[in-house]
Amino acid sequence: MSPRREAVTTWATALAAVLAGAAAAGALVRGGYEVPAELVAPTLVLNLAVGWSFIGVGLAARRRRPGNRTGVLMVLLGFAWLARFLVAVDTTPAFVLGVLLSSVSLSLFVHLLVTFPTGRTGSPGQRAIVVVGYLLSAPLDAVFLALGAQRGRGEGPPPNGLLITPASGEFSPEPVDLVVQAVVVVLFVSVLVSIWTRWCAAGAAARRALTPGLVGGTVVVATLLVQRTAILLFLPPSAGVVLAWSAQVVLVVWPVALLLGLLRGRLDRSGVGRLVVDLGVGSAAPAHLRAVVARALHDPTADIAYRVPGTDTYVDAAGRPADVTPCGDRAVTHLERDGEPVAVLRYDPVLTEEPDLVEAVAAGAGLAVENERLHAEVREQLAEVRASRTRLVEAADAGRRRVERDLHDGAQQRLVAVGLALRLARARLASPAEELDALLVEAGEELTAALAELRELARGIYPALLTDAGLGPALASLAERAPVPVVLEGVPPQRPPEPVEQTCYFVVSEAVTNAAKHASASRVEVSVVPDGGELRVEVADDGVGGADAEGSGLRGLADRVAAVGGQLLVSSPARGGTRVTATLPCG
Amino acid sequence: MLIVDDHASFRSLARRLLMADGFDVVGEAGDAADAFDAVRTLAPDVVLLDIRLPDLDGFGVAEVLAGDDGVYGAPTVVLVSSRARDDYGRRVDASPARGFIAKDDLSGDALRRVLGDP
Repeated sequence: MSPRREAVTTWATALAAVLAGAAAAGALVRGGYEVPAELVAPTLVLNLAVGWSFIGVGLAARRRRPGNRTGVLMVLLGFAWLARFLVAVDTTPAFVLGVLLSSVSLSLFVHLLVTFPTGRTGSPGQRAIVVVGYLLSAPLDAVFLALGAQRGRGEGPPPNGLLITPASGEFSPEPVDLVVQAVVVVLFVSVLVSIWTRWCAAGAAARRALTPGLVGGTVVVATLLVQRTAILLFLPPSAGVVLAWSAQVVLVVWPVALLLGLLRGRLDRSGVGRLVVDLGVGSAAPAHLRAVVARALHDPTADIAYRVPGTDTYVDAAGRPADVTPCGDRAVTHLERDGEPVAVLRYDPVLTEEPDLVEAVAAGAGLAVENERLHAEVREQLAEVRASRTRLVEAADAGRRRVERDLHDGAQQRLVAVGLALRLARARLASPAEELDALLVEAGEELTAALAELRELARGIYPALLTDAGLGPALASLAERAPVPVVLEGVPPQRPPEPVEQTCYFVVSEAVTNAAKHASASRVEVSVVPDGGELRVEVADDGVGGADAEGSGLRGLADRVAAVGGQLLVSSPARGGTRVTATLPCG
Repeated sequence: MLIVDDHASFRSLARRLLMADGFDVVGEAGDAADAFDAVRTLAPDVVLLDIRLPDLDGFGVAEVLAGDDGVYGAPTVVLVSSRARDDYGRRVDASPARGFIAKDDLSGDALRRVLGDP
């Protein structure tokens, strides 16, 4: 129904209720019977209050919960209640119609109470009670009317059944009356058993919706029950007067209790703000999240199952596999992030009546789950950064140790030899020239070798050519000096940022050294090509393969690449050569 | 005297230098294993021992040579290195070696001073 049409219907119904109330008042006052003056006002006030209360609250319930039949039943009950006043019009058709409609409100009351809060029958037992309830009203009254139209018409002051007074004259119930009353009593007891059995079986979330309506309904039914039982037990009818008045007073406020039950979820939604606050102050631990969600939904059985990333399986907070298919006693709402399910909220299906509440809680819980996931991601990244920082420091220390050792074993030894040779030459200044010349040549050769070693060492520490001339000349020089043939396939024409250039050079240098030293390669191909905003460095050899990407050399290289925001991939199948690929962002 | 060092050029120059200064160099060894063989067969009085060797380091070799089982005849050990004495902290003092000479200071006089000869 469109909102406009709905508004028209609502206002039309309200107008009809006012008119029906006015008609009822008119019927009582001007219907043709003599009504004791002191009873007119209380009778009218109470009955109009009951009728209008049901219609008004029913309209409100229908507006708030359009898919729920309770509102419609309440409106019908209100009109049925007012329709009872037809009997106050002293004409036969009005009397017949009034008698037929006199108990319909009671049938609707049974229907409403048994099926609250959905307004729909859920079990055969409920259906039976509702059907019997309707059979006992208009159909039974029709039978009585057909058998003897005068039944009840002389008892008590007319209009029959509207005015609450002690029955006048001889109190002598006929057997058929007793049977009908007994059936009514059985029906009311069944209603009480039915609703309270349902209450006992319901979860905490459902009880929140049921309790106000059932308590009010029970008071009404209990009052009616005592009233009817009083007739059945031959108790003086004067006791029934008080009970009848009380039942009507309760009927005035009962619709409000029903509405409270229906709109409980709406009231609960104010707790969602609290949920977000609670999630913020507490730990992100699954147990805390579960407790907060259960509190916000008022469903202690509510919990959250987490999706194992990359699979379709779910686990609960304790890590046990969890079943997330909705079933009879479990409803399920998926918590999604960027269209990907990250977790599910499992709860009492009665909460499906409160989609707004569930949605709001699910959104809050989704935020918390996402938050926790991001936290975990950051923790993981932090751990990786810490580990790589440690490895970088270790690699730097290892590098310094290597330089010290290279200096000591190489150039230093040669310079010592030069010193000794010169000292020896000085001691032999008087010796033959050939001997002296041989010593000086020896010293000169040691000096040349020392210089060459120093140069190589310095280049290993940092290639001056890379700073001065860039990647192309530096890699070309590296290729020339390499112990294996190196084919340089491509070098970018423009110089990338300095850190990228250095990283690129060391990736090639380390990979070429590995190819010669460990892979027994006979040929290495090197290419450095710009790829979008990145520089793609590839070093492929034809060696034995089987390189360990987690070994200290390649791990150190990966750390170096990661330090400039890049990524290193090593593919090295056994006997299939090794391909080292680094992608380095240049932005 | 026996010269133990893994650099052939050093051994050759040291032999000539020390022989010119009056020492009798009876042999050379390039690593610890050769050094033990040479000590057993040549029975030198003095072993000029480089601290950095490819197998066992000079301190370890000095310990073995000083062993009281008499296999090596406990020759006098003088440690040499291209590093400075300070680079080894107290290890030189703690070893059974007689003393230490930096390689660039090596001469007959330096060796005699360490050996305590006049």
